[in-house]
Amino acid sequence: MNDIDPRDDDRGHEDAAVLTDLGRLVHELDPPPVGLVERIQFAIALEHLDVEVARWERAGSFAGVRGDRPGTITFTVDNLTVMVNFTSTGERHRIDGWLVPAGQHTVEVRVADHNSTTTRADDGGRFVLSDVPAGTTQILVHLVNSQGEPGRTVVTPTIML
Amino acid sequence: MSELRTAGANPPWDGLDGSDRHAACMVAARDGDRTALDVLVTELTPLVWHVARGNGLDRSTAEDVVQTVWLALLRHLDRLVEPRALVGWLVTTTRREAQRSWRTNRGQVPLSVELTEQLPTEDWLPEDEALRDDRDRRLWTAFSRLNHRCQEILRLTVLAGRAEYRAVAEALSMPRGSIGPTRGRCLSQLRELLNAEGGSR
Repeated sequence: MNDIDPRDDDRGHEDAAVLTDLGRLVHELDPPPVGLVERIQFAIALEHLDVEVARWERAGSFAGVRGDRPGTITFTVDNLTVMVNFTSTGERHRIDGWLVPAGQHTVEVRVADHNSTTTRADDGGRFVLSDVPAGTTQILVHLVNSQGEPGRTVVTPTIML
Repeated sequence: MSELRTAGANPPWDGLDGSDRHAACMVAARDGDRTALDVLVTELTPLVWHVARGNGLDRSTAEDVVQTVWLALLRHLDRLVEPRALVGWLVTTTRREAQRSWRTNRGQVPLSVELTEQLPTEDWLPEDEALRDDRDRRLWTAFSRLNHRCQEILRLTVLAGRAEYRAVAEALSMPRGSIGPTRGRCLSQLRELLNAEGGSR
């Protein structure tokens, strides 16, 4: 029944032996990162599931802010770009952000094991959250239309600050 | 996995395995059961990871792509008409996101199947210094010299060989005509490279 069982092949046992060894090596040398499952479970534990995902756009070999280096990260989805700059203030962070196109959208920052922090972007699309705890962090943008009525919600993958 | 179970009554996927289990989780997740989603994430993240890595992403980028794929699933929970199609959807979406990531982050054209078959990769696999066994080292080196397409196929093959990934085998067996011969060709290439590295034993 298992169509990709190598033992079905004529070359049989040798292929099976190579695959057995390869399987062991792949799992020993290249497993998913420790904690990835938990970070995903945090990222998807959202109040509403009808969300659009903004992708992390990495320019060139930019390694992100996985260390403690401050930096700017850009997330994009079809018609919204979210730029965020993180500045460490010891155990916590200051977040300066910018939404393009601009709009007075609600910005929510989720940090694992902490309460959410929420602010509203100004009419130029800028927002500041001056005191955000460090940890596994996700940004949500609750969009409003020109009448101020709620619309789509955009979410980012988590980043580790 | 017992810590993931809800208190009290057994969840509907209890005792099921393979695609039956995933389908039961999908149905429960549509009804708002967040535990069901967590079960899927726990059990299928290795699949998404190995597709991302098999498509040539470094570990950091692969991690972003894996998260993006799971977040994208949220709004597709109701759109995946057949719950059993989840594994296929995850594989397809991960490939697409990986190729998109190549395009935007490296300023390169997206990797077509043709291109991935031509492109040898050596620069992104983890260091093999930890490998004490000479045969292991040679096999890992040979694997790293395969093109992306073959690396992905062989990763999926060994993953699907594990009992808990029966659903992966089921999903991948659907395009019988294409995956079978291609896998055989990839295995031949791997063994040739292994022989060139100093024999298969």
